[in-house]
Amino acid sequence: MSDRLRAAIDHAAELLPAQGPISVFIHHNTLHAFEDLPFEQAVVEAGRRFGCEPFLTEARFHEEIAAGRITEDDLVAVLGNDATDVRLAMLRNPIPAPRGAALRWLLDEIDGLTADLWETLVAHARTLPPLPPATRPATRVDPLLIRAVAAFLDQGIATWPMPDRELGFYRAFRRLCGCPILRDEEARGLDALGSATESLAALGVPESEWAEYVGETLLPVRGWAGMMRVLERDPNRAPVAAPPCSLADFVAVKLHFDRREGRAERAVEPPPTPEERAYPVFRVAIATGRRDPKLFAEVEAFGELERRRVLQLAYERNFHCRVLDALARPPVPTASPSFQAIFCLDEREESLRRHLEEVEPRCETFGTAGFFGVAMYYRDAGDPHWTPLCPIQIRPEHTIEEEFSGLTTRRMRRAAWRRGLGLLQRHLSTGSRTLARGAFVATGLGALASLPLVARVLFPRTTSRLRRRTASWLEPTGKSRLRLDARPGADLEGTRRGFTVEEMRAIVSRLLDETGLRGKTAPLVLVVGHGSSSLNNPHESAHDCGACGGGRGGPNARAFAAMANDPRVGLAPGTWFVGGVHNSCDDSIEFFDTDLIPNALRAKFEAAATALDEACLRNAHERSRRFGQVPLDLPPAEARRRMEAQSEDLAQPRPEYGHATNAFAFIGRRERTRGLFLDRRAFLISYDPDDDGTRLARVLGAVIPVVAGISLEYYFSFVDPTGYGCGTKLPHNIVSLLGVMDGHQSDLRTGLPWQMVEIHEPVRLLVVVETRPETLDRVVRENPAIRRLVENRWIFMTALPPDAATVEPAVVHSSLDAYRGARGHLPFAHLNA
Amino acid sequence: MLETLLTLGAVAPPAALLAFLGILSLVGRPAPERVTGTATRWTFLAAMVSFAALVFVVPAGGLDVQLGPLTFRLDGLSLPFLGLTLMLHGVVGAFAHRYLHLERGYNRFFVMLSLLAVGFSVTVLAGSIELLLAGWELVGISSALLIGYFHERPMPVHNAMRTWVTYKLTDIGLMAAAVLIIHDPAGHASWIGWLVLLSAAGKSALVPFSGWLPRAMEGPTPSSAIFYGALSVHAGAYLLLRMWPQIESTPGLAAAVVALGVLTAIHATLTERVQTDIKSALAYASLTQVGIIVAEIGLGLHVLAVVHSVGHACLRSLQILRAPSLLHDLRHVEETVGATAEAPRSAPPRRFYRLALNRFYFDELLDRVVGACLGVLRAFDALEREWISLWGRR
Repeated sequence: MSDRLRAAIDHAAELLPAQGPISVFIHHNTLHAFEDLPFEQAVVEAGRRFGCEPFLTEARFHEEIAAGRITEDDLVAVLGNDATDVRLAMLRNPIPAPRGAALRWLLDEIDGLTADLWETLVAHARTLPPLPPATRPATRVDPLLIRAVAAFLDQGIATWPMPDRELGFYRAFRRLCGCPILRDEEARGLDALGSATESLAALGVPESEWAEYVGETLLPVRGWAGMMRVLERDPNRAPVAAPPCSLADFVAVKLHFDRREGRAERAVEPPPTPEERAYPVFRVAIATGRRDPKLFAEVEAFGELERRRVLQLAYERNFHCRVLDALARPPVPTASPSFQAIFCLDEREESLRRHLEEVEPRCETFGTAGFFGVAMYYRDAGDPHWTPLCPIQIRPEHTIEEEFSGLTTRRMRRAAWRRGLGLLQRHLSTGSRTLARGAFVATGLGALASLPLVARVLFPRTTSRLRRRTASWLEPTGKSRLRLDARPGADLEGTRRGFTVEEMRAIVSRLLDETGLRGKTAPLVLVVGHGSSSLNNPHESAHDCGACGGGRGGPNARAFAAMANDPRVGLAPGTWFVGGVHNSCDDSIEFFDTDLIPNALRAKFEAAATALDEACLRNAHERSRRFGQVPLDLPPAEARRRMEAQSEDLAQPRPEYGHATNAFAFIGRRERTRGLFLDRRAFLISYDPDDDGTRLARVLGAVIPVVAGISLEYYFSFVDPTGYGCGTKLPHNIVSLLGVMDGHQSDLRTGLPWQMVEIHEPVRLLVVVETRPETLDRVVRENPAIRRLVENRWIFMTALPPDAATVEPAVVHSSLDAYRGARGHLPFAHLNA
Repeated sequence: MLETLLTLGAVAPPAALLAFLGILSLVGRPAPERVTGTATRWTFLAAMVSFAALVFVVPAGGLDVQLGPLTFRLDGLSLPFLGLTLMLHGVVGAFAHRYLHLERGYNRFFVMLSLLAVGFSVTVLAGSIELLLAGWELVGISSALLIGYFHERPMPVHNAMRTWVTYKLTDIGLMAAAVLIIHDPAGHASWIGWLVLLSAAGKSALVPFSGWLPRAMEGPTPSSAIFYGALSVHAGAYLLLRMWPQIESTPGLAAAVVALGVLTAIHATLTERVQTDIKSALAYASLTQVGIIVAEIGLGLHVLAVVHSVGHACLRSLQILRAPSLLHDLRHVEETVGATAEAPRSAPPRRFYRLALNRFYFDELLDRVVGACLGVLRAFDALEREWISLWGRR
């Protein structure tokens, strides 16, 4: 009995969101559970299940048609043999489907000439079998359930922890609630599954429907249930410490609430009446002039969902054509580069790389997964927590920490001060919430709070500068280094400290091979990871590096550079690597271990750093055009100040737009994309096509899960911002340190907030790989996960043979000419750099 | 003359802003975001300059200023609250201009915000009970409408309605007190105090009306900050302070005020301890301090109560404004303090925890009382219908 219930719960669990605690945000396919189905079928099925939208609305698509984003050619091409007049007319014109009073209002307008037609159609509609009614998931949630589960999972907001947490959710709740049913269950010593079985019996759910019912009743609280599941599977993901989580416990409690309040029933929408069914046909008949009886079937066969599917395909086709047109041009080689720079493949680094190449035409840039092959748990000096820095599909086996050399008394004193101030800050903020201490703080110091209140809101940038300057007095000084070498002992279960020389050599060798850098390194190579910092943004971590599992890639770049420089590794003699990190929110760059740079290269490094700083300046200017409150005619320096202010502004819900512009990925040599204005739309992965497919298999295996996850999460959060996304940020309320709720009490909201995705174009990712089609075909076939994504069309993939025919493109002078004065998405352009 | 001008200078800008935004909305051409933002900023500057001058002009004992038929009272009680209102209106306006950019309800938010600024200024400056009542109503309506700001979701609307009903029921007290004061101040002196206390308890979420305060966190963050961290929640305390000379002689009232304040503080501080979301935690933390402030008023510590209110309002609105930074701040503190700084907390007795998690069952209690009243009214309604149909049949 309990085995079958457990199986039912496991089945239901597959539909739950897989998002973990929000402080480490990992992008993943929102509909991961449906990947076995073809995309276009999966979104419709999931939409029905969750009550969510599968595609953009028809009205939105019609705006795109009006804007020329979808053309007649696209529609005809997508329809293929089905491109009948009726279908084209239905795609081009809005087909209203008014119901109830709205329809009656319109019917009054029908006059004599069309009245006959109308009567005929309605008469025909009456002869048809009725359509099945549409349903929506139940929405009822008991506030006490939310309070209880939030209390159970709480990671430190409440002063009082929930009693009996160590017994698991069901038992803790049973002891706390004390209602007669639960007291009786306690007396009989039932476990969660037993309680759930009894509740199901009391609700009258037959065993054959258990899985169905459990899945259904969890839908209104799927965020909480999903978190329970995530922490049950991997308790290490809890920010502090996970209580013993079990989805079965949660199900037992939810079913107990159902038992008290009645079954969770789907809301049923009545099927359309004959008049409501006839009206769209009537409109099409008028638009096309057709009167024959077959029209009814033709129109109904091309229903709203089907039209939206076709429009989505046309929307994607238009974009794909433009990408492939742009890529079909001759490669632009770089002769003997003065320095090289490796960035993350992130589409936000596309513009930075382009600007760097424009500033310094003799430099060469590369893109790779931003953890640079260094999979590790990392912690800063003084940081209590280990952060995994690598793609989510890898589990790190090494721990690396930062340490300071030269412990002077001055440094110790500063550290003590810093700690003291930190403690004071914490006492004031927790104390202000209590009774007596709160009264003293509010009466004595409260009025002083008006100073930061006014300063931070009215002058965010100046305030943060001032604050940082004061804080820098207490910053740790002295040189810090990463402790890279392998040492005995383990900091975390299943890990080792540091890397052996062999492991370092493998990491460096692999990256040099994949990017095609081996044997071609310039004397100076910059390795630049990225991260993002912003205030008042619970989703801050979603802006960090996806290839670092939602962490900041600086330590990885630093570790990689140190490994590559290590003479024992000795893979690139005569080359010096410098690690750095790019803050994609305020466009600043920080380099690590610059004191180690050999003197002979110092001037070269200074020149490279200056060029990179200029590139950041231009990058900030290019980014600023997307923000409606930043004027379009600002000079670059002022634009950068605005971007800096945004990252420090409490009142700014859009510190940056994250991956919102991601749309396609190019895997191949930079020569093919160099000098292309790609409008921050492209993940750029360096790959040398001179390969039999072994390296390609590694590259695809590392990259595709990350970029597909990002692309699909943005697709769903944009297409249904409140169903798949977490809605607008404005009422978000951090709960249990695990996620956000809407306002006072709601489900735990998963997905991306609207302010992060609002400029997105929901197209599936197009991956263009510079290789022979046969090679790509073979590599994809050999990797089941990627094969499933490609064959079910969750992403599109195409090969661009290295010797493909090329066309000479039209050019503009510089990036600035390509983007100046515009806010929206731009056509790709070829730069005359 | 100077005082009159300066008072006008402090009160007129928010009123002009309200008229400007309100009229444009009413004719269906809401002001563009940039215009609204600039107008709010100038309103803030103009009002703050007048206010700063006013502080120097008003004598220690306070004075009454006549603006047409309206009497405004300027003294050591109204000025701090006026300054607080104007400052928060400006700061929250600047905050919301960026926070609500591209939001469909941007204009609606600013109309409500300026309505609050006008309402609260009028409430604190009111020199007569009628004027106070007018301001009080404006604060209530703007408050409820901003809780229901996200009206496309059911919960905000539901919670806004609950708040509104709580306000309306308890506002009966102030309304009745006003009627008594105007018509027969001497005869019903002992009633007035209790009626005022009822209204103050409703608006400041004192026991047993405290259930609406966490529910009020449905609106956008800046409105939560100004209403429930700062202004609305202190309105009841202000009312008690303002009316104290008229009501202090009421037998038993002072003791009741102290008791209500202490009970609220205890209720709120216990409930705060089990809140697991940052906004509810801050709501109950606010309520804790409001309870203490009310107790201070009952004890006659009025200067302390004013200092406490103003300080608390500044502190709490800052905390609510930066509530979404919680994770960022926590990480920062952890980095400076280190991991082992905090001892694991132990769970409280289950009975206390249950009481706190259920918020002392005050909402259920109110529901039951209101339900009973509704039952009686429905019975009368049914009776009336029967009566009418009886006559109709003949």
